[in-house]
Amino acid sequence: MIRVVGVHKTFGPLHVLRGITLEVPKGEALVIIGPSGSGKSTLLRCINLLVEPDAGSVFIDGVHVNRPEVSAEWVRQQVGMVFQSFNLFTHLTALQNVMLGPVRVKGMEQEAARVKAKQLLARVGLAAKAEAYPAELSGGQQQRVAIARALAMDPKAMLFDEPTSALDPEYIREVLDVMTALAREGMTMIVVTHEMGFASNVASRIVFIDAGIVLEEGHPNQIFGNPQQERTRTFVSKILR
Amino acid sequence: MAQRTAEDRKRMWRAVDVALAVVLTVGGVGYAVYAIVGRWGLDQGYIGDRWLDYVFAAWVSLYVTTIAFVIGLVIGFFFGWIRATRSVPLGKIMRDAKKVADAQGLDHVPFPATQIIWHGFKYIVRRFGDAFVAVIRGTPLFVQIVFVWSVLLIRVPTLNPLVLASIAGLIALTANTGGYQSEIFRAGLQTVHSGQVEAARALGLSKFQAMRHIILPQAIRLVIPPLTNEYIGLLKASSLLIVIGIEELTGFGRREAFDFFKVFESFALVTAIYLLLTVPLSRVIAYVERRLRIPGLGIQEVTAPRAPRAAT
Ligand SMILES: Nc1ncnc2c1ncn2[C@@H]1O[C@H](COP(=O)(O)OP(=O)(O)O)[C@@H](O)[C@H]1O
Ligand SMILES: [Mg+2]
Repeated sequence: MIRVVGVHKTFGPLHVLRGITLEVPKGEALVIIGPSGSGKSTLLRCINLLVEPDAGSVFIDGVHVNRPEVSAEWVRQQVGMVFQSFNLFTHLTALQNVMLGPVRVKGMEQEAARVKAKQLLARVGLAAKAEAYPAELSGGQQQRVAIARALAMDPKAMLFDEPTSALDPEYIREVLDVMTALAREGMTMIVVTHEMGFASNVASRIVFIDAGIVLEEGHPNQIFGNPQQERTRTFVSKILR
Repeated sequence: MAQRTAEDRKRMWRAVDVALAVVLTVGGVGYAVYAIVGRWGLDQGYIGDRWLDYVFAAWVSLYVTTIAFVIGLVIGFFFGWIRATRSVPLGKIMRDAKKVADAQGLDHVPFPATQIIWHGFKYIVRRFGDAFVAVIRGTPLFVQIVFVWSVLLIRVPTLNPLVLASIAGLIALTANTGGYQSEIFRAGLQTVHSGQVEAARALGLSKFQAMRHIILPQAIRLVIPPLTNEYIGLLKASSLLIVIGIEELTGFGRREAFDFFKVFESFALVTAIYLLLTVPLSRVIAYVERRLRIPGLGIQEVTAPRAPRAAT
């Protein structure tokens, strides 16, 4: 479903991605781990073209997307994204946040979009908060609205960039539960997270990225239980505490 | 049941607070007037006869200010918007053109003329806007008015002096408020968090849609208070037009004061009219602001530099 081949990205003198290759088959969840600054966010942003790769190719559902004749807006409709800092639109209610994409991008009727948004909010357990503004919601609730907002575009795949690392511990569970349910329903996802419980339960494979390259990848049991690389071992032991 | 809730107590204290403020303001002003003019007293006959002329003079102030302000909104938004965007380096334009050519399998790269013209235009507008704002903020409005007037006087000396002064005054006020408003819009647009735009783009909204549906609605809430200050400031600053002979409220009041020796009556009327214009306006805008406030969000402030206009 998503295939990344030899992607490079530099920011000025900084060579952030140095030839990343990975593949996520349809319906599987890939978890990416790696130290801060290793390029995980940049990689996700290269996949939905928020950042344009300098070299290499990104394929989504077989389409080579980082070509000038492919519209970035079209690509972003195929892949939903959830940010570490939620980024809900502060001037819109939860319901309006979820409705915005379908109405403005897909040209859906207001009423149809409202029905759909309500269903999605119910799905993430927030039917009662439809009229609340983001600033009136807890972090966990905001992130669940953000997931509903991304799902409203009927994406073929979802990208999660450390969705729980800005949350107070008591709200992490509810967000991970929504993501787990999504994975069980067969959504293709790439998740950057250091939540090891979630990774072990949900991920079909784990990728360890260090300094812009894929240093090691494998089944969760192997990466967490028996990592081959020295750097993977030290990193895993740190996040397992 | 007789128990007062905290809410009731709060409301009571607020009422006491307002009452005290009114008593102190009215009492203070009343005493000051008595101390200054008590010996002479105000000539109520004069006020009764002439107040309509003052209202007409105030109409001139309001008219000039409003026209300048509205045209200034267009200028300010345009420059503010362009100055809030980033430059695209020529190197990147050329690289992008090469990428497109490579992807299409062309063996020579077509010259990206439209790209260069568009980004070059924005670059020039941005730089011109910076210079414009520096000049407007760096010189007194007084000088700007006299300058525009002098230029017109030399260029079109045959024009009717009153028409000439009106045009000069309008140009100077418009340019002035346009410069200040450009800063307000730039700050407002830049204060909208970058994550908001990113989330909009990630949903598939175009740059234009992100501007229209995400940035503008948030920026408008941010710029309303500074724009109100700007309007009130401009209304007061329009009194400087007296130097080129335009008789708005202050100018008219001054002439009345000395022609008829009605100093206190004249200034009482002028002050009252200014307050009657500015205080309700502030109230209305405060109400609009409350209505637009986003629930749960604290008061966000734009740090637009609103330098007070020094009087001469
Ligand atoms: N837009 C950008 N401009 C310049 N440098 C950037 C930009 N985005 C990311 N970086 C830099 O790239 C490196 C990798 O960042 P990131 O992908 O966010 O890492 P991670 O998500 O793994 O912590 C960091 O050093 C960061 O400062
Ligand atoms: Mg990151």
